Amino acid sequence: MRITAKSAGAVAFAAVSALALAACGGGGGGASEEAGEDNKPDKLTVAAWMDFPQALLDSFEEETGIEVVVNRFPDGASAQTVLRNGLSSDGAGLSDVHLVELDWWTEMMAVPEDWAELPEVPDRWVDWKVAQGSVDGTITGYGTDIGPLAIAFNQDMLAGTGLATDPESFGELIGGDDATWQTFLDAGREYVATSDNYFVDSLTNAFQAAINLLPAAFEDPESGLPYDLAENTEVKDLFAMFADAAEDDVSAGIAIGHADWGAGFQNRQWASVVTPAWMTGIIAENADGVDGWRIASTFPEGGGNWGGSFFAVPSTGPNTAWAIELADYLTTPDAAIDWFDETGQFPSQLEAMSAPEIAETENPFFGDQRVGQIYGDLAAAAGDAAAGGYRGENFAGIQTLVTDGIRLVESDSATAQQAWESVVADFDALGFETAD
Amino acid sequence: MSTRSAVPPDARRVGWGQRFSRWDIKVSPYLYVSPFFLLFAVFGAFPLLFNVVVAVHDWHRRAGMGDFVGLDNFTWVLRQPLFWRSLENTFSIFLWGAVPQLVLALLIAAVLDQNLRVRTFWRMSVLVPFVVMPVATAMIFGQVFGQFGLLVPNLQELGLLTGSDSPFFSDRLLSHMAIGSMVVFRWTGYNALIFLAAMQAVPRELYEASTVDGAGRLRQFFSVTLPSIRPTMIFVTLTMTIGGLQIFDEVRLYDGGGTGGGKGGADNQWTTVVLYLYELGFGDWQDRLGQAAAVGWIFAVIIAVFSLVNFLLTRSISSSRSRGARVTRAQHRAAVARARAVAAASTRPEAAAAAAPGRDGPPPDAPVHDADVQEGASR
Repeated sequence: MRITAKSAGAVAFAAVSALALAACGGGGGGASEEAGEDNKPDKLTVAAWMDFPQALLDSFEEETGIEVVVNRFPDGASAQTVLRNGLSSDGAGLSDVHLVELDWWTEMMAVPEDWAELPEVPDRWVDWKVAQGSVDGTITGYGTDIGPLAIAFNQDMLAGTGLATDPESFGELIGGDDATWQTFLDAGREYVATSDNYFVDSLTNAFQAAINLLPAAFEDPESGLPYDLAENTEVKDLFAMFADAAEDDVSAGIAIGHADWGAGFQNRQWASVVTPAWMTGIIAENADGVDGWRIASTFPEGGGNWGGSFFAVPSTGPNTAWAIELADYLTTPDAAIDWFDETGQFPSQLEAMSAPEIAETENPFFGDQRVGQIYGDLAAAAGDAAAGGYRGENFAGIQTLVTDGIRLVESDSATAQQAWESVVADFDALGFETAD
Repeated sequence: MSTRSAVPPDARRVGWGQRFSRWDIKVSPYLYVSPFFLLFAVFGAFPLLFNVVVAVHDWHRRAGMGDFVGLDNFTWVLRQPLFWRSLENTFSIFLWGAVPQLVLALLIAAVLDQNLRVRTFWRMSVLVPFVVMPVATAMIFGQVFGQFGLLVPNLQELGLLTGSDSPFFSDRLLSHMAIGSMVVFRWTGYNALIFLAAMQAVPRELYEASTVDGAGRLRQFFSVTLPSIRPTMIFVTLTMTIGGLQIFDEVRLYDGGGTGGGKGGADNQWTTVVLYLYELGFGDWQDRLGQAAAVGWIFAVIIAVFSLVNFLLTRSISSSRSRGARVTRAQHRAAVARARAVAAASTRPEAAAAAAPGRDGPPPDAPVHDADVQEGASR
């Protein structure tokens, strides 16, 4: 660590001084010119973290003669770091087009001038996706996918306990049409009482989904200031519900992104996962060789949404005009269908949602279930509620803080009560000016 | 200058040459070392000083410099429980990494210092872990200590661990030990080679003399080797302190570092000061560059003080050892003198036997002594 820690420090210092330079440089502000032959670049770069359908990139090159180079990141978090540092240093190191995830969209859009304004494309997306991708009425991100939530479960494991044998009986187990998070967690308690593994990989996904349904979870939509967490009874009650379940060892405490997540599937550690559409491909990859995984068409509280992304164009880029063309091209309904085939991510484009290619494709990993159909129905059932509540600039941070409390209970480091107290103490230490 | 007056005017061309060569002697050494200092000024000194400016301002990533806030950032940091917790973690991880490392490195160096076959091979071998990037080390060790890794399932099999989760990611002390083990893995060989270099420089006569005096291998190690490599011990301990306290890569990637990870655990069990600094300034959401700079300065002072303490401690430990050896040798000489005097003055056998302690008898490990001599000669 000796040498590298120093060099890491040097990088940090360099970043600070780069900041100073950026402060002198001032905002770039991309001149909005038309994409034409005279300003056509040889290649365009796209920063993202999922696999791209190669055919899509090839046909763009055929059409325009521009080679598309994908700067692929291992996960959203690293793409976020690069984007954040690039934006704070006047666009240094940024790609022409960036994929931005909903969870950190607000942070990246803090300075709207950082992003090129994108022309309106009528009737391409569901309304709430367009609203999410806009800042003060200006579109700055073209939606790729949405993350309708379902529950993936292993019917072989559940059959072993006699609680459920197929997607229908699993739906009944977690509460049927009136399913709530409480009935879901109670089903989990029932499961772990008779099985030798956990019910769910981690309760943090479920908790985030529940938080997402609150109209204003952590912050006051009027002033944008955070609510005092100690007095935030809605969040506190939800926290208690999930933390109690964590105390009862309903979950393994290993969420997606954890080093042991993949191994957990292979070792059959849990029987269900709260699964947004974009995660289906990732699960198929990690649980390869483990039979019996299915997608249930029932979801607590009538459905939800986790994530989904946008393609946005940093305004400091040298090729903004063509980058906008590329962002447009990558978010057409046809492109969305290609992407569904590649990674399982569910389109936010209206035309693609109802396309037979999505609804009728059978997924061999999930026992030839029509996964696109199930997610389409769940997205329709969730409706506009899937858009989630108000997200101010501190939403992601406070959410992490509170979710860490659940993780604390999952790892047996604290009781539900202690964890809540620790979360509140951490929040108070940050010294926010809070809303009434 | 005094030579110039002695040189006739028509020898001016020679004078120019002389002047150049004089400049060459005076200036070029500075030119040769200047690249380092220029680079250091740009990438070391300037950021260091600039950090002071950042630390006394309200500073954000995108907005840059804000209002002058004086020492507010410093008091804010000192009021954060997480800062103190990360400081505790840092020192704990440092101890778990440094102490076993020091002992092991000395041991390995002592073994390598012997007359081994294919000694270059062994010396190179201990450096292999050092070739592995810390990032790779952290990823691999993270897996080893994980729930399904090499360690935890086997410990469960042996009944040493109950529960199916890996305690190395929830228990504070165990996580420190796990991270300390990465440091040990990576740095032990490197320090062993530094120790080895120092041990090679210890005069072989000392070993010969101590062997003649009847000192065993262990005794030689503590009374000859350790005191002789004292300056190297101080050097290694100091660099270890400075580097070990700045630990970052290992803690950042211990839990995989992906979404939701890399923050030192749900309860900040293994958040170190540098990781805390990184999270404050460049992390997901806080965007507090001014406070992060303040952490940097506070931590720099702490490291400086701690290094000084370590320096004094190391110096006193090694010198008290050598003083101990000197006393023993004095006692030894006194005993010999007494024995001679007794032998000369009288022929009473029981007095001679009482005056000469058993360890003054013939060396029990004479063959070893021969090997040492051979080895010394071969160098």
